[in-house]
Amino acid sequence: MFNLLRMDLYRIKRSQSVYVCFAILLSLTVLACWLVWLMETPQGRQSAVRLGMFSLEDLAEMNVEVDILQNMDILGMFRNIGMDGGLYCSTLGIVIALFVCMDFQGGFMKNIITSHQNRWHYVVSKLLTAGILNFLLIVLLFAFCLLMNLLFHMVPLTDWNNILFYMAWAWVISTAFASLVIAICIITRSVTMGILGAILFGSGIIVTLLSYVTSLFHLGQWTKYTLYYNMTYGPSSYSGTGDLQIFVIGFVFMALYTAIASFCLTKQDI
Amino acid sequence: MSESQKKYAVETMALTKKFKDKAAVNQLNMKVEEGAIYGFIGRNGAGKSTTLKMLCGLAGATSGEIRLYGKPLHTPYMSQRIGSLIESAGLYPNMSARQNMIMKAKCLGLTDNGANSPENTIDKLLSVTGLSNTGNKKAGFFSMGMKQRLGIALALLGNPDLLILDEPINGLDPEGIHEIRQLLLRLNEEGKTLIISSHILGELSRISTHYGIIKDGMLVEQISQENLEQKCKSYFQIEVDDTKHALPLITEHAPDIRTEVYDNHTLRLYDLKEGAWLNQLLVEHHIQVYSSGFHHMDLEEYFLNKMDGTAPAQNNANRTDTVLE
Repeated sequence: MFNLLRMDLYRIKRSQSVYVCFAILLSLTVLACWLVWLMETPQGRQSAVRLGMFSLEDLAEMNVEVDILQNMDILGMFRNIGMDGGLYCSTLGIVIALFVCMDFQGGFMKNIITSHQNRWHYVVSKLLTAGILNFLLIVLLFAFCLLMNLLFHMVPLTDWNNILFYMAWAWVISTAFASLVIAICIITRSVTMGILGAILFGSGIIVTLLSYVTSLFHLGQWTKYTLYYNMTYGPSSYSGTGDLQIFVIGFVFMALYTAIASFCLTKQDI
Repeated sequence: MSESQKKYAVETMALTKKFKDKAAVNQLNMKVEEGAIYGFIGRNGAGKSTTLKMLCGLAGATSGEIRLYGKPLHTPYMSQRIGSLIESAGLYPNMSARQNMIMKAKCLGLTDNGANSPENTIDKLLSVTGLSNTGNKKAGFFSMGMKQRLGIALALLGNPDLLILDEPINGLDPEGIHEIRQLLLRLNEEGKTLIISSHILGELSRISTHYGIIKDGMLVEQISQENLEQKCKSYFQIEVDDTKHALPLITEHAPDIRTEVYDNHTLRLYDLKEGAWLNQLLVEHHIQVYSSGFHHMDLEEYFLNKMDGTAPAQNNANRTDTVLE
């Protein structure tokens, strides 16, 4: 299995889609930081007036909103830029879908399965690769946010314990989401379905729709156990053992989707 | 060599693969000796690729058993003894030939081992398959022949003992076919066992040592090259008005000659050096002779005979055993 992992890491290092998606996430971070800077800092507001984005009167009316922004710290800003809305999960899902489906599209899967008959190895290798990529992306994006904040002095720094706590569960939840995309790709072998699944599940469209339908029957409580809900509303700081539930949810989904993917792959002919 | 002394690279026991209710492969008992070049022949949809996929572990069997080198297919590390090219070359289209080879080397866990480092092996295989000069060209832009060559190079990586090649010369030009033929023969000389499926029977007959003919998922016949040659050997074919009268007459005058009733009007006589006397004999006994002459069957004709179900009904006394030897 570690041979497969080595192979996957070699390939992902050369995968253009990883760099393209990372560049998109960085660009959005720059854009968000610039907007925060314009609204949050006195220099930014003056620049916005000079650029004609709003007048001095608008600026006076914005004071309330500015107060809201002033309650935000670096972790809050990081979450708001891409993590909470599902942008990050969708982007990660798209990269994973392109990565996994390439095995089927080119037929290299035949070489892999001939050499590694235990198909669980294939799925676990993909999951580990997704986990490693996810870790690097989260750390690099947060580091970039920190760098932007250091340059423009927008929001105060969060306590490092809270940052580490958030990063840990965000990694678990987003890796569990990646395992869902892996399962979709293995079952359908379609890059279109993989990307569609990444967008629909990652952005919470499916959960929101189902939540709306089930709430009509007063059955909406299940949503708080979904990956999307936990990614969006999960705790930013550790306040007690109850907050550890999020890890359990993440690992349960990860194991479930990995088992489904492995089972389906075992039953399929290549 | 007796049956019990033979070592088999591949043995299947009642191997069956069903898609819903239809059996693509039905009770297949295949035996491939170690060191053989096994030509696997059959029409489109006969079950060749499905069988080869099952041998590689790409498709699961509905029932039956596969043994490679005497051990079950799913024995640990057994799969690493197989190199395969099934249907089309499996490759990453966005990578060069070399990068595809590196991927497979990593997949197999090939490690640096002095002169036999993966890099050296990859260079050698790319050279052998004529892909040394492809540089950074992406495999997705390769011609069909180049893709096949890369598929063969990928199959050879890891120095497998058993090579399973499904239509390996598809898309190759005559020069390429010659090169691949020489390569396969060389690999066989090195002791590798090859299972090759191809529709180009002429090409297959130039290298195969054994054949397996599959029809509607069932193995119709397994035959060695020697036995095939024996069966396809020149024969004297004579068309008469009635074989019922002609056959006893011939058997009486030439008891050592192997005879075969092909149909109601046709007789085939083997080991006959010249046929003029036979014509004369039949005419003298008032048997009408419509035509006569020497024939030689090639693999294609033999295969077509098998497929059409018009395989010769041989004289029981002189019947040749068709089981693989």
